[in-house]
Amino acid sequence: MTTEISVIHLLDVATGEGVEGELRDAIEQAQLNDWQREWQPALLAVLQDLARRGVPIGQWPQSWHWDWGKKTARVQGLLAFRGFSVVAQGVTQGLAQIDLTKAGREPSQAGKPLVYLDYIEVAPWNRPELGRPPRLRGVGSALLTAAVALSDEEGFKGRIGLHSLPQADAFYARIGMTDLGQDAAYQNLRYFEMTAARAQAFLGQE
Amino acid sequence: MTAKRTMTLNLTDAEMRALDDLSVRKDITKTAVLRQALRLYQTIEARVEKGDKLLFENDATKEKAELMFL
Repeated sequence: MTTEISVIHLLDVATGEGVEGELRDAIEQAQLNDWQREWQPALLAVLQDLARRGVPIGQWPQSWHWDWGKKTARVQGLLAFRGFSVVAQGVTQGLAQIDLTKAGREPSQAGKPLVYLDYIEVAPWNRPELGRPPRLRGVGSALLTAAVALSDEEGFKGRIGLHSLPQADAFYARIGMTDLGQDAAYQNLRYFEMTAARAQAFLGQE
Repeated sequence: MTAKRTMTLNLTDAEMRALDDLSVRKDITKTAVLRQALRLYQTIEARVEKGDKLLFENDATKEKAELMFL
């Protein structure tokens, strides 16, 4: 399958200027190489710093143990799973893995297919919660917008769902996703859904 | 958008009714129903090939039933 590439616009926080990036509808070896060679050392430095400062492990980035190599290998060749990546300034800035087999839970769309965001993560240097100003802004939003657009393209009317890591709960609530509460069947993470109506408004804003 | 190819599908009346019904209930087009079916079929086949079983569990009774997948 040929990877489709769209141009997106991100913000370089240090200069305040716009930066062009690529939204790619796949996670390929180049992205996994970036994750291994660029993200991992950056994350390790953050974790060492947190440990040195005595920050409780509960406040560490909750995706610190994610292994994108294993995640992508598990779904290799399966039509039900898709990947997205954002590349800018010569390096992968964000990754998302999507499952197309899940159905909605929110009452207005219960049982209807949606795009489920299995995993979404931006590079460690783009995460303000890690204590440093992010390099680029807009990476996570670009991945989320890609998921909503894919849902629309698949005929799912923009419906998406995800389990949120606690550090991201406020973000998903802010963009108008419905909080369906903690899911006892999924590590007690909060489950959020974007309704079809909200998705159309969201795509209109982007 | 990924390029798609077109095919003709021959279905019985009963199959067409089932497809229509799923299309309405799931709020997706008939093409989307078939694409979903293909994704699910392929996913299940891959899991069964690895040695996994396909089980249904009744939420209320917790009764489990295995779906034979041939």
